[in-house]
Amino acid sequence: MSGLATAAILGAAILAASTISVEIGISVALIELALGVVVGNAFDLATPDWLAFFGSFAGIVLTLLAGAEVDVPQFRREWRASLAIGIVSFGAPFLGVLGFAYWALGWSGEASQIAGIALSTTSLAVVYAVLVETGLNQTLIGKRIMSATFVTDFGTAAALSILFVKPNLWIVPFIAVSALLVLGLPKLAPWFFGRYGNRVIEPEIKLVFASLFLLMWLGEKSHSHAVLPAFVLGLALSSHYARHRQEQERLRVVAFAFLTPLFFFKGGMSVSLGALLANLGVLGLLFAAKMAPKLVGVYPLARRYCAPNAVFTTLLMSTGLTFGTISSLYGLNAGIIDQTQFSLLVSVVVLSAIVPTVIAQRFFQPSAADEASRDAGLRIALPAIESEGR
Amino acid sequence: MPFDNILVAIDGSEGSDRAFAQALELAAITSGRLTALAVEGPLPAYAATVGEVEEVRREKEAFFQTLVSRARQEAERAGVALDVELRPGHAAELIVRVAGERHADLIVLGHRGHFLRDHLLGSTADRVVEHAGCPVMVVR
Repeated sequence: MSGLATAAILGAAILAASTISVEIGISVALIELALGVVVGNAFDLATPDWLAFFGSFAGIVLTLLAGAEVDVPQFRREWRASLAIGIVSFGAPFLGVLGFAYWALGWSGEASQIAGIALSTTSLAVVYAVLVETGLNQTLIGKRIMSATFVTDFGTAAALSILFVKPNLWIVPFIAVSALLVLGLPKLAPWFFGRYGNRVIEPEIKLVFASLFLLMWLGEKSHSHAVLPAFVLGLALSSHYARHRQEQERLRVVAFAFLTPLFFFKGGMSVSLGALLANLGVLGLLFAAKMAPKLVGVYPLARRYCAPNAVFTTLLMSTGLTFGTISSLYGLNAGIIDQTQFSLLVSVVVLSAIVPTVIAQRFFQPSAADEASRDAGLRIALPAIESEGR
Repeated sequence: MPFDNILVAIDGSEGSDRAFAQALELAAITSGRLTALAVEGPLPAYAATVGEVEEVRREKEAFFQTLVSRARQEAERAGVALDVELRPGHAAELIVRVAGERHADLIVLGHRGHFLRDHLLGSTADRVVEHAGCPVMVVR
């Protein structure tokens, strides 16, 4: 099939995914992944080079957007609880899944690491939607969960960049340019965006894209990955974007309209339904290998920092989607995992977006009003306790 | 006086507009209290990006602000005292719950007539009629 024929099929499928998403209220990313599976398996489409290229770039753009969505002041206020929950939320399933894949499934060391990374993530977007919908994003527990999610995401980005690095001399310019962009772009942004922004030709988006392409190129030359600097760059720009929401909005529009559909379709098209059906038992075991360490690791900390909503917190910290897909696709593109392993990992990632969310919402969702009054009580009690302590 | 505490569900659809007009008329006749309940539907489930959730949230906020202010204007013109409640959640469940909380003696709601959804899952009106603790008027 020619490249243009593939593009035509994909274009129609991407359009269908958007309309289906609006009609049934499920995120467009999940629909794109699902339709990607259908299109890839039904038409037996080989992934063209341009799709692989834009898919990889879209993954980096998604990573930057995830970094830019972090509420840094909130994280500073809640750093102790967020660090504790976030580190365990990353570390426990990473080690659990890595060990399971390596010893029980007999995957290679590197493939097991990819499995550990892909299944240790927490989805900020899934968590955010649940919290906003219920009004819990305004409460202490909601803010703690979102900050902890950032820590887990950071762990994923760091592991993906560091574990697979085979450094050569290119690592020096890669680190130098990463540092320069992370430190320099937030300083340059107000002037550059002020002078060249707010135009239909969007120089500010081109500046961000040029920076990401540079990071991807240097990452490739140094046998590393641009995901960590992209995430940190997003983080560095988060304060700027918080003050200039329209700029972030335009970047999102470009990303969602063109780039991210290619990323999720590429992910879906790389899933082999046959391999998946032949390994349903392994799928269930991998899902359990992700959930069990998350639940066992996070729950005690959630009891300490998010009581009486420890189960709700633990379940939300067990969700995953975007970073899990990014990690799995990286493993597939780099030849670290094969198509069967990729199919299993992405399916577990999708399951982990749905199952813990449904259980948390259906059975353990706290009332936002109760939480708000508990927060108000805490605000009154804490100064009194502190002054007694003095 | 019967029907002096009426709850009407509004969502901006044609059916709900008709229901609201009927409820206003009834409240004017009975000099009753009218509460308009606007139910915010869910945000995109299992989102991959915060941006997607944010966008829908902003759209919803703008939509419901317009809806609520239009309801207030119509009530003012009809000379009816109107309370408005905007809540997120599942429509049928919330309508029944708010009717109970506010001790409503009549629920008024429109019928949307979504062929597939109504026949496969049952409509919101069906569920409210089944679970409500007071009379329900379904306006077609």
